Amino acid sequence: MKLPESILKKVEKPGRYVGGEWGQIVKDKSSVDVRFAFCFPDTYEIGMSNLGIRILYDIMNKMDYVWCERAYAPWVDMEEQMRSHGIPLWAVESGDPLSEFDIVGFSLQYEMCYTNMLNMLSLAKIPVLASERDEKQPLIVCGGPCTYNSEPMADFADIFLIGEGEDEVVELCSLYREYKHSDMTKEELLRRASHFEGFYVPSLYDVSYNADGTVKEYKPKYPDVPAKVRKRIVKDMDKAPYPENLVMPYIETVQDRVVLEVYRGCIRGCRFCQAGMVYRPVREKSVEKLNETAKTLIENTGYDEITLSSLSISDYTCIDKLTDEMLKWTDEKKVSLSLPSLRVNSFTKELMEKISTIRTGGITFAPEAGTQRLRDVINKNINQEELLRACRVAFEGGKTAVKLYFMQGLPTETDEDLDGIIALAREVIEEFYRTPDRVKRQPQVTISAACFVPKPFTPFQWEGQCPYDELIRRQKYVTVKNTDRKIKYNYHDAGVSRIEAVFARGDRRLGKALLEAHRRGMRLDAWEEYFSYEAWLDVFRSVGTDESFYANRTFKEDEVLPWDVIDIGVTKEFLLRERHNAYKGKTTPACSEKCSACGANKLGGERSWCPKIATP
Amino acid sequence: MVPEDRYPVRVRFSKVGSLKFISHLDLSRTMRAAFLRAKLPIWYTMGFNPHPKMVFSLPLSVGTASLCEFMDFMLTERVPYGDIVARLNASFPAELRAIEAYEPSTRFCDIGWATYEIRIETPAASPELAEKIRALFDGEIIVSKTTKIGTFDLDIAPLCDILSCECDGGEIVIDVRLSCDEKSFVNPKHVIEHILKSYPTILDGGDYTVCRTNVFLPDKETEFR
Repeated sequence: MKLPESILKKVEKPGRYVGGEWGQIVKDKSSVDVRFAFCFPDTYEIGMSNLGIRILYDIMNKMDYVWCERAYAPWVDMEEQMRSHGIPLWAVESGDPLSEFDIVGFSLQYEMCYTNMLNMLSLAKIPVLASERDEKQPLIVCGGPCTYNSEPMADFADIFLIGEGEDEVVELCSLYREYKHSDMTKEELLRRASHFEGFYVPSLYDVSYNADGTVKEYKPKYPDVPAKVRKRIVKDMDKAPYPENLVMPYIETVQDRVVLEVYRGCIRGCRFCQAGMVYRPVREKSVEKLNETAKTLIENTGYDEITLSSLSISDYTCIDKLTDEMLKWTDEKKVSLSLPSLRVNSFTKELMEKISTIRTGGITFAPEAGTQRLRDVINKNINQEELLRACRVAFEGGKTAVKLYFMQGLPTETDEDLDGIIALAREVIEEFYRTPDRVKRQPQVTISAACFVPKPFTPFQWEGQCPYDELIRRQKYVTVKNTDRKIKYNYHDAGVSRIEAVFARGDRRLGKALLEAHRRGMRLDAWEEYFSYEAWLDVFRSVGTDESFYANRTFKEDEVLPWDVIDIGVTKEFLLRERHNAYKGKTTPACSEKCSACGANKLGGERSWCPKIATP
Repeated sequence: MVPEDRYPVRVRFSKVGSLKFISHLDLSRTMRAAFLRAKLPIWYTMGFNPHPKMVFSLPLSVGTASLCEFMDFMLTERVPYGDIVARLNASFPAELRAIEAYEPSTRFCDIGWATYEIRIETPAASPELAEKIRALFDGEIIVSKTTKIGTFDLDIAPLCDILSCECDGGEIVIDVRLSCDEKSFVNPKHVIEHILKSYPTILDGGDYTVCRTNVFLPDKETEFR
């Protein structure tokens, strides 16, 4: 099927919809058994930048009986054209409607894309509720970080793939193929799926609730369905498949370069950070493997930029060796090397000289909190001296502008901590003037403050989010306190953060609210111009949901959490210990210094910091 | 003057299908990556931020296909022209094709005219309609043109030659030659607009496509190379 050109002429950035890119995989659909539509529930530019999709697209298309294609959320102008001309949502490679696929998979990267998934299903004319789909409709699966608490989406997906998808997608396609060629029913398919590690089939659990609204129990409907679903990991990252070719977008995307994943996990354990917990244990790739992959990808794609990606890149044990090895050929090939974010204690003159994007771009550090007390509470183990030292390196290197990331509304935060944000920014300005060989220009510090959102599987998962009005007050407080023209204060929308908190810590009763929001035409909630806090409050009112129950209530430590059905390796006991340490202002060392027994080592893993557990 | 260690090359290429909807800027990004994949020894600009130097002839409007686009670049080593075409085609997306490569002897500013094939798909298509449309282009052709200094009416009759206008099944097919001169560039959409003035519903239930078919010198006859 081809999209009518008359429609492409009417929309912004038609390059989002046409496909045909170098590197896309086109197969003969009559020669494959399983057709998989990999959907990203946001725009093409964002979806094309996602590393997970790049990896899984490659893995599935290397299977001879599978054809994996891509689909994205249309922008509003295209959606309007599709609805008025009755065009169902299609996959870009074949142009075929999603409803013709065997499996439709969604990558859930952030809570604010949930309505997009529902909108995409309805644009594809696929019933959004799992209970309303039968054998004739595609199997709907979801993966990605949000699925660690998939409950709010439980009414819509058939299967959640928990953890790292490399092996899961292979098993899923293989199981599906068997289903297709036998008289297995969909019900049997789901039952069989639940036996695979990491496959969470929400319809196979009965959830009961206490009188106070909290979860009482998750009960598998059948004895063969596991009581807890353990996330999957790839044990040896050197052996994990990594694409040697990429689909090269015509239009500019968010991450329009080679992304080289250096390791998974994080040794730090910041207490607000979900990624830092759910990707444990740390597993590194070897320098040799990385260097070789980087070369191949540059050769094959024609990109001239490569970014090293990981949660805290400078914690890679061989970062110096890796950058040295890579610089041996990148300079000659005029390939530029970039790093995402750096911890202040690793920001050195040598690194600044090596990395071209640091040379030319802006400098960003993330102290996260304004005072040492609060930084200790959140276990962000950096201090003011380290930050100022890093800034001085930047100033000596000719920089005049520094961006600082903070979080507001963190547990135990007081006005003193807010004053600390401004004070720290001031200190950075002072450090600029204390730097003898600075550039003779006015310095600029930009404070970018997010609102703290409690996330499942973090030591702060029990914390109620700071109330909306109080978040607004704190933002105003800092705005008023900031009298320095050299300091710019930006902050995130407290409304978005609150809705995010509702869904982050939600249970499956929130499906009603999502369905109602979808019926009202809400989508693109991650886009300022389409998000409406009031509209969401109205949705919650109309379905009788108290949003504070999820966002602002402090959960009891002995309460059954909606995500207790998932096992990420890191234990609840560790998270509790960490919570108590937070309130004592006691920090926890990084994995590289001392093992704090988080429990993730039971999952195994090569080139890891973890003490090994003898496998039976 | 071209320095001795550089070899200027011109490539004629076509872009059709999905490439029609790729803007000029995105096309040049695509070309850049394709050159790196093809491992052609393209000459990089000097300076702080070296990049492969590529120059394109007449940029196309988004939505327009072309069988006749030109791109100039320089190589730092001699590569047989046939190899250049083959290596580029191995690195180009399917709907982008290199047709020939050669040493340029003209400049892009020598281009005077381009021919286009405009296909209007309409339920009303008939030989009579084709003849009536052709007749619309006898005499003055007033279009409104928008430039930096504002919108004004312009008679494009001296800049627009209808070469043929026929009915082909459910389509009216117009071959037209339009001025490409920098100062008097006529966009094929002006031809459509002129037809819409007399037949405002001609595109209802149908659509139109535009494809640039060839490029000429100011004498209208000599193909640009």
